[in-house]
Amino acid sequence: MTDALFWYGCNMTRHAEIIRLGTRMLQAVGVGAQPVGGPAACCGSPKESTPRIAEGMANRTMQRFNQSGAAQVITWCPTCHMNLDDFMGATQGKQADSAHLAQVLWDRRQELAPLLTQQVGARVVIDLHMGNGTGVNQAVPGLLRLIPGLEVMDHPYRAPSYMCFGLASIPGALEDARANMLAAMEQTGADTLVTIFHSCHRELVGLERHAGIRVLNWVHLLAESLGWPYQDEYKAWRNSTDPEAAIGAERIAAAGEDAVRRLVLPELRRP
Amino acid sequence: MVAPRYADWAALRAAESARILAACSACGACFEACPMIAYVPDAQGAAASDTVRGVLSLLQGGQGDAAARGWVAACTRSAVCIPACPEAVDPMLMLRLAKFNAQESGVIPPRDARDAMARVKAFARLGFTEAEQKDWL
Repeated sequence: MTDALFWYGCNMTRHAEIIRLGTRMLQAVGVGAQPVGGPAACCGSPKESTPRIAEGMANRTMQRFNQSGAAQVITWCPTCHMNLDDFMGATQGKQADSAHLAQVLWDRRQELAPLLTQQVGARVVIDLHMGNGTGVNQAVPGLLRLIPGLEVMDHPYRAPSYMCFGLASIPGALEDARANMLAAMEQTGADTLVTIFHSCHRELVGLERHAGIRVLNWVHLLAESLGWPYQDEYKAWRNSTDPEAAIGAERIAAAGEDAVRRLVLPELRRP
Repeated sequence: MVAPRYADWAALRAAESARILAACSACGACFEACPMIAYVPDAQGAAASDTVRGVLSLLQGGQGDAAARGWVAACTRSAVCIPACPEAVDPMLMLRLAKFNAQESGVIPPRDARDAMARVKAFARLGFTEAEQKDWL
């Protein structure tokens, strides 16, 4: 029986390797979790400017969770995480416990720590945000400090919002957050910027092209210490001079050429 | 296990809006604590109390003022307003509910999310194996 659902959300489809690694990490610490997400398991937030539609999507997802029999819903997306407890749980009820992936791994650090055998030489600053009721601002630094060879550099900056998505549509806000993160890295002597959430990863990986730093997600760093290989394809595509060639014609054709050209490539080609 | 407290979102919105309207004293502490005000041109120089009253207007289906509309649109749920509030209003929820009303009535433009799910599916087809598409979506 599946102990839990790993609710990765909708926009995480850009980062399949993080879903795979997260699921494998849960298994490694004794939690069997079935990944679930995409449009059929949406919290409704992408449609929140039309609350009636958002409510329908959220209700369908919550009913699916409540009928699954899973004892726990393990979240990734902070928007989903918040909606689960406020609008979704408040109107549909919540049958399962819920916690963020980072919190679940942190709670099982006794099982995880002995598996982190590989040295990862990095001095990291973490892209921490204000407004996180997910527990990640404590759990992610704690998890990274379990990795041998890795130094977590403390700094006081916390970006507004709870992840970078909210900042991207406010003129000047994301640019300021990026500049402040780079300043924090310079002040602390960090060489690696660690993202926590998918939208932050999406908005920050482009810094690798010009800022002389590495940008990794916290799951990537745990995977390196576990000795598990992975490929961050989104970053490779985003930082390629020719994303279309980097993806390859065969994969584009298989995914639907019109959709990739209209919906994917413009995002990957952003400056 | 959490029991439902409201029949639907409309009931939640109505009850929470009524609670907020009864509790808020428009002291402006939430506005003053908000890290996003610097990014709202219409809120520069605006009085905190007046701007909160504008949000309360939006919450009641009104037009608000330019500062309130800009603030509601720029809220990114940083949550620093919640501990700043002396009346336990939950200003973050206040702004979210005001934004619902304002977008439904056209007072502020809705986010264009027409392609959001199509984009999610396109990335899934690129990055997921066929088995993952079957099992994870």
